Amino acid sequence: MSFAKPTHLTRQQVDDFEREVDAIRASVMNDLGQSDVDHIRRMIRICRASEVGGRALLHFGVGPLSWVAGVLALANAKILDNMEIGHNVMHGQYDWTGDPALNSQKFEWDIACDGEQWRHSHNVTHHTYTNILGKDRDLGYSLLRMTDAQKWKPRHWLQPMANLMLAAGFQYGVGSHDLEIGKYTHGAISKPEFKARLNRFLTKTAKQWFKDYLLFPALALWSAPRVLAGNFCANLIRNLWTYVVIFCGHFTDGVAIYREEDTRNETRGDWYLRQLSGSSNLEGGRVFHILTGHLSHQIEHHLFPDMPAHRYLEVAPKIRLLCVKYGLLYNTGSLYSQYKTVMKRILTHTLPPKNATTSPA
Amino acid sequence: MMIAASNSAAPSTWVEKLAAPLKAALQHPWVESIVRLSAVEDTLRSLHPMLSLTEVRAQVVRIVDETADTKTFVLQPNALWHGRHGEHGPRAGQFVQLRLEINGRRVERIYSLSSRPGARLLAVTVKRQAGGLVSPHLHEHLKVGDVITIGQADGDFTLPTLLPAKMLLLSAGSGITPVMSMLRDLKARNYQGDVVFMHVCRNPAEFIFAKELLSTANRFPALSLLLHFDDSVGRFTPDSLQSAVPDLGERATWMCGPSGFMDAVEGHWATNNLTAPLKSERFVAIPMLPTTSPGTPVTVMLALSGEQFVTSGNAPLLEQAEKAGLSPKHGCRIGICRSCQCTKKSGTVENLQTGELSSMPNEQIRLCISVARTDLSLDL
Ligand code: FES
Repeated sequence: MSFAKPTHLTRQQVDDFEREVDAIRASVMNDLGQSDVDHIRRMIRICRASEVGGRALLHFGVGPLSWVAGVLALANAKILDNMEIGHNVMHGQYDWTGDPALNSQKFEWDIACDGEQWRHSHNVTHHTYTNILGKDRDLGYSLLRMTDAQKWKPRHWLQPMANLMLAAGFQYGVGSHDLEIGKYTHGAISKPEFKARLNRFLTKTAKQWFKDYLLFPALALWSAPRVLAGNFCANLIRNLWTYVVIFCGHFTDGVAIYREEDTRNETRGDWYLRQLSGSSNLEGGRVFHILTGHLSHQIEHHLFPDMPAHRYLEVAPKIRLLCVKYGLLYNTGSLYSQYKTVMKRILTHTLPPKNATTSPA
Repeated sequence: MMIAASNSAAPSTWVEKLAAPLKAALQHPWVESIVRLSAVEDTLRSLHPMLSLTEVRAQVVRIVDETADTKTFVLQPNALWHGRHGEHGPRAGQFVQLRLEINGRRVERIYSLSSRPGARLLAVTVKRQAGGLVSPHLHEHLKVGDVITIGQADGDFTLPTLLPAKMLLLSAGSGITPVMSMLRDLKARNYQGDVVFMHVCRNPAEFIFAKELLSTANRFPALSLLLHFDDSVGRFTPDSLQSAVPDLGERATWMCGPSGFMDAVEGHWATNNLTAPLKSERFVAIPMLPTTSPGTPVTVMLALSGEQFVTSGNAPLLEQAEKAGLSPKHGCRIGICRSCQCTKKSGTVENLQTGELSSMPNEQIRLCISVARTDLSLDL
């Protein structure tokens, strides 16, 4: 694996590219209005109805069929809440509405990750330093080796297992992400600071467990096991789904990885190029896009993180045309084909490098 | 729009007494992680648009055309409205905030109440401002039956409990609304003194509340009504006021109207050393994007911490605040993460990425990509 050269384009071309991307952004941002608010509110209503329906089926249903339906409805609610609503609202996509229920800095979601910590690990760290090795902590989530540039250690033999565990417990992976345990063990974070972060993470997790594994089962009386198992499965489904979508957005074949020194003094055009080359898309229908929180348009999301996500659909063809014009890769494919390349990458990097003496890059 | 500050007491209706603990419970962090207050509110709203634990809502029950460009909206408030009775109810001369959503954006404006305090219904009278955002929207879209969100009555442009023997209510244009409310109050309180109501406008067609004022003048002995139509008798000046109301110096005066009008009257009070109290309510238009050139020093007020600093408006606010020794929250510093986001209460900023100027009050801005183009007030 080699690092991406910042670009093959001339300075002039990068500047032109920047202007064209800016213009695409402006055309949408100047057009925001009622239909955008209506969209997100409709999603919130569907999510709520799905949660109420799912919980009702789990609590009051009889038989395995109603249990399965309940799990699916609750999983659907959790997926919508995480992806299309929480992720997007917390990016500030609806701050312009002035509605406190849609305010990025106040929103809290139904997942073990504390909103405030996510805003830091995701909005600040990941979106600013996308795919910069050593800075973007989403690269392998400090758990997986995703590139030759990361040093191979014996623990990486267990990588396929670790990958599976990360997938199943993805919310805890995301939730503990901002703890920066590695940094703490190296002494880069003070003990009180680490404790405060740990406390936040544990409190949020406790709230989630209280709700899903204590309160709602207890309310169901003799149906408690049915409800507990249902809530567990709904969380599991959501975890697996979000994991797949997010891994397909950044770890597919052809996604570029950068060195810190290559990204110094980036212009906005350079930044756009890094976001573009660091992301990959998924193809599918309208419902599929919504269930991914439109992270199926990861490329557009990384270019315009605060644009209401349902607008990525109309922006995507324009970005694609720009890619053709400037000779850039627009990395897209079906979920299946994209995830295949992710798996291949995880498995290849499980093995120690063939020539262990070559230094990265 | 009028701006006035006052801290109204916090009385509560019985419904509020029931709703308040419920609302507090729902805002508890553990409860909030199970059911969001916004979800409860949405559910209540879908049961009935007037139901809310947190918001005063009001239904439009009647719309009255006052003049060609002025309408009165008569509103029925929900139970969270602070009483029609007692000292905590609205007082004549106060205003309410109307909150609407226009094209997806929440906007708030304050309008004087034109209704009599203690009335079962409340009313605001809105003149359509050409090129405005809210008043044309109200005129075109607000229908009988619609429900809007309002605030509690507020403002200290009010009548005292003990009324003076001689009064002047002076208004121009749509500034008539708060003093009309005062007059209705005087009538209801059966005021026995001597009140002059002087109203200035261009011509009879623009005379808001004409019918009601004229008939009140006939039936309410305390009132002398004076009208000044610019089109027929020439532009209003303080001299025309002085000659129409010779005992000006003895009258406690309440005045509301456009800035120029009020400046002139206040000037007259000052130059003639009039000692009678003069209270006024200012119309302050939303600043329409004044163009302070980059480099002009401006003051940034931080409303929460009470601090302030001066910036030349060249570098982003985040940098300028740090230079001034403050440490606002931040992350990426390039406009992506919104860690530095805060509410700008007033003033104009320029977005460095888009070059856009904006003067909207209570707007979310990112300190790292905004520069000040006027004095600012931030919620920090
Ligand atoms: S610091 Fe990240 S948006 Fe301002």
